[in-house]
Amino acid sequence: MKVTYNWLKDFVEIKLEPKALADKLTMAGLEVVSLEEKAGDFIFEIEITSNRPDWLSIFGVAREIAAATGAKLKNPYFSLAARKTTTGATKSNLKVEIEDKKDCFLYTARIIKNIKVGASPEWISKRLESVGCRSVNNVVDITNYVLFELGEPLHAFDLDKLNPGKITVRRALAGEKILTIDGIENSLSVNSLVIADQNKAVAVAGVMGGKDSEVSLGTKNILLEAAIFDPVIIRRSRQAFGRASESSYRFERGIDPDVVSRASLRAAQLLREYCGGQEISLTVSSSNKLKTTQVEFDVAYASKVLGINLTTAKTKQILTGLGFKIKQKSKNIFNVIVPSWRQDVKQQVDLIEEIARIFGYAQIPNTVPSVKPKMASDAKRDLVLEIKNMLTGLGVTEAITYSLIDRHGLTAAGLAGAKPVEIMNPLSQDQEILRPTLMLGLGRAISFNLNQKQEHVLLFEIADIFKAETRPEEKLALGIALSGVKSFFTGQGKIKDESGLLNLKGILETIFERLGITGYEFKSQGDFQVEIYIQQEKIGSLLKLEPQALNSLAIKNRDVFLGEIILDKLFSFAQLNKKFHPLPKYPGITRDISFVLKDDFSVKEILALLKEQGRPLLSEVKVTDYYKGKQIPPGYRGLTLSCLYASGERTLTEKEIQPIHDSLCALLNREFQIKLR
Amino acid sequence: MDINVIQTQIEEDLSKAVSLAGLEEVRVKYLGRKGIIAELTSSIPSLAVEQRGVFGKQVNSLKNKLLELLQDKEKILKTSNQVSVKSNFDIGMPGMAQELGVLHPLTRITEEVCAIFSKMGFSIVGGPEIETEYNNFTGLNIPLEHPSREAFDTFYLKDYAKMLLRSHTSPCQVRVMQERKPPLAVVVPGRVYRPDAVDASHSFMFHQIEGFMVDENIKFSDLKGLLEMFAKAVFGNDIKMRFRPHFFPFTEPSAEVDISCIICKGKGCSVCGRKGWLEILGSGMIHPNVFKQVGIDAKKYTGFAFGMGVERIAMLKYGVNDIRLFFENDLRFLKQF
Repeated sequence: MKVTYNWLKDFVEIKLEPKALADKLTMAGLEVVSLEEKAGDFIFEIEITSNRPDWLSIFGVAREIAAATGAKLKNPYFSLAARKTTTGATKSNLKVEIEDKKDCFLYTARIIKNIKVGASPEWISKRLESVGCRSVNNVVDITNYVLFELGEPLHAFDLDKLNPGKITVRRALAGEKILTIDGIENSLSVNSLVIADQNKAVAVAGVMGGKDSEVSLGTKNILLEAAIFDPVIIRRSRQAFGRASESSYRFERGIDPDVVSRASLRAAQLLREYCGGQEISLTVSSSNKLKTTQVEFDVAYASKVLGINLTTAKTKQILTGLGFKIKQKSKNIFNVIVPSWRQDVKQQVDLIEEIARIFGYAQIPNTVPSVKPKMASDAKRDLVLEIKNMLTGLGVTEAITYSLIDRHGLTAAGLAGAKPVEIMNPLSQDQEILRPTLMLGLGRAISFNLNQKQEHVLLFEIADIFKAETRPEEKLALGIALSGVKSFFTGQGKIKDESGLLNLKGILETIFERLGITGYEFKSQGDFQVEIYIQQEKIGSLLKLEPQALNSLAIKNRDVFLGEIILDKLFSFAQLNKKFHPLPKYPGITRDISFVLKDDFSVKEILALLKEQGRPLLSEVKVTDYYKGKQIPPGYRGLTLSCLYASGERTLTEKEIQPIHDSLCALLNREFQIKLR
Repeated sequence: MDINVIQTQIEEDLSKAVSLAGLEEVRVKYLGRKGIIAELTSSIPSLAVEQRGVFGKQVNSLKNKLLELLQDKEKILKTSNQVSVKSNFDIGMPGMAQELGVLHPLTRITEEVCAIFSKMGFSIVGGPEIETEYNNFTGLNIPLEHPSREAFDTFYLKDYAKMLLRSHTSPCQVRVMQERKPPLAVVVPGRVYRPDAVDASHSFMFHQIEGFMVDENIKFSDLKGLLEMFAKAVFGNDIKMRFRPHFFPFTEPSAEVDISCIICKGKGCSVCGRKGWLEILGSGMIHPNVFKQVGIDAKKYTGFAFGMGVERIAMLKYGVNDIRLFFENDLRFLKQF
């Protein structure tokens, strides 16, 4: 909201320079976001928090300045005295009927006749312009002027365009039509409140007036509305209407019930002065008077909560300065009567904030609380961090991709699976569902980086994934993606290594081993997919993207490998308590087997068979070399296994080992048709 | 001549020899025809008879020792020559090591912030991203139909009534306070969502860190002191801080916290919008209505809460000028942190 220095000075004496005033307001909770000098005046743009509708006017800000600086608020020229002289209005024939007093507890209709519509006096149009309001004509400008000055929205109807006799405040009928002053034809719902004459709706109450009864150059007589509508109904009405106005903004936040008649009088006074209007009648329809709020206030408690030493004198000074009335009950206890414009003050803590604001947050000391430590550490979080650190150590960089994605991309990449959780109000189709997998986001990040000419991309993300079940399901997952060629130096020169599923397997194995997980297994499902099991439970999978998926991600000439595991499942298998195993007392004997193996057989089966048949002396067997190419016929590969024979009781001899080793070689020959090299 | 002195001298000479030619010089000096050993040997006849035997043995052992040392040194010099001739080693060549990956800058900031509070004795707690309307709004004293909700535009789930994507991390206040009893000192890092159009400073998905403390005698001044410690730990000891009155439905009194601009030191620049101050936190004393919702006795306990945007802190600390960079995952960006 904008206010100007000179306009404020109509109501309060300001001794501060504009810049100092801006600081003062900011530190009192009215944050000045910009200050601009314009045509001999200064324009402050203030961010008004939603709890303080009483600041949504020049007068309201002036009242705050008076409280914050100790200056006197000038007695406004539309005081009660003015009310008496102008209420020469006769009782009107106009009837105001309010369908539901909850929607509108106060409605005043002032009839002013014989006005002359024309241009506004310059001072009015200039002031309106400086707070960002376009000048229309003198009548409309005066209603707007009073809105900005006092915060009460007013509306002027062309009386002769209304069907006379009765004004009704009622809910709109479903589908009821109204053309509003912005030239748009609206279809209303029962959630909208309207002002209607005997024929039809003539305004969307508190939001916008109707075009048909708009004040125009030919207007002679007007009906000036000043009312209070219920904030919630205006909010719903505005939402259905789809457009906000200065009026709806204020009604939604709450209007000082006391300001309504004053605003109406102020407008009547200006209309008489600048439009030659003649006041004819006033109709007021209202429900019971608003109750005043009383709040008990304990000075000692306020001191304690703020961490300062408040005196009763200081407290009284601050509260009365803000317009609160005080009845002292005992030394430290007050009954505080809340003024009509402070509907936000409902309990003691609201007053404590007022004290703190005016006392000055800066004057409150800095102390350090004593924290009573509780060992409520989040074990899952620690594990996640440990995995993140392992992954970066293995050369994988952390990515963060969007959790809201498009369904189309998922299908195109062949990653659509179970029913995803959908968003009711997405901003666009790009954010229509919660992702059921991290793979799409990571695949896109790979694509982005390959496009930036990265040779080798290795990314991971740890985040929640979602699935539509009876209740929406949310699970923590780890996704890893890689693509491209890794090149590195060795003593022999540069080596290039094409990424593959085995890189993903290796990364995951490293993590599993560090977490003490045993019994994990990678099961191949064709050339493109590997499923990961721990003790018979599926915890994730590895994928090589198929050509059409790569195409959908705009990846050319590169393979992309993706892995995803559910961390909640993984963690249930983690064995974090490390136990010492005694080091071998007796040296073992190593025997290598080099052979050629048909591609039909998996090394997994060979290792499993050797481990089983080599017991108890074969204590370890691993692949130490692997070769494909010259010297090996197509469809075969060269392998070297290293077998370690050892015993926990004695040193083994060559003689003892040889027959065992030979029989294992013979076994491999029988079972897998290996050819020893 | 003292044999011991000569031995020391030999060792010194040998250590100075860095080439085979230098070693030859040492050999000649001691073992040459007119060398020191020859000199010693020739001096034997001039000694008293009873000393000759002992001295002769000493000279002999010195000679043997010298021969041994010369041989060792020759080996060393020869092999080291070989290496440097044949391997053409160049320390200027690239070093060889496993290349490291890096943590995302938002993770780095989150961990840095959590570590600070963790050291102060706070527990770190997580919570789900799918939340109930109650935890996100009502439990936090945000009425469903009230302008104070405007600041929290929210994505709702289709097919699940009153379920939404949390628009802030504060629902965890409700969760934790319902589950645990005071005293509480908790920080909650997490991902949050608001339907904002994406531009350089807005994102529909971002990250927050929430913190709160509840106990008897927790004061507004404690909030000020604690957050000052925090801000100085993150942004350095020379920053200035200010607490501005503000409004949040779940705290009263509420404050926004500014630090003096770390770019211009408070003079006013484009980063701070010429204000000299940067807003980094929202905070306040937990509203009694929130305590009422979670069943904590507001007469006995008081507490404070604060929240900050991780992207905002990261942008300020690292000088990042576009929030979208955090979600593009460009390795050239990520590897800078």
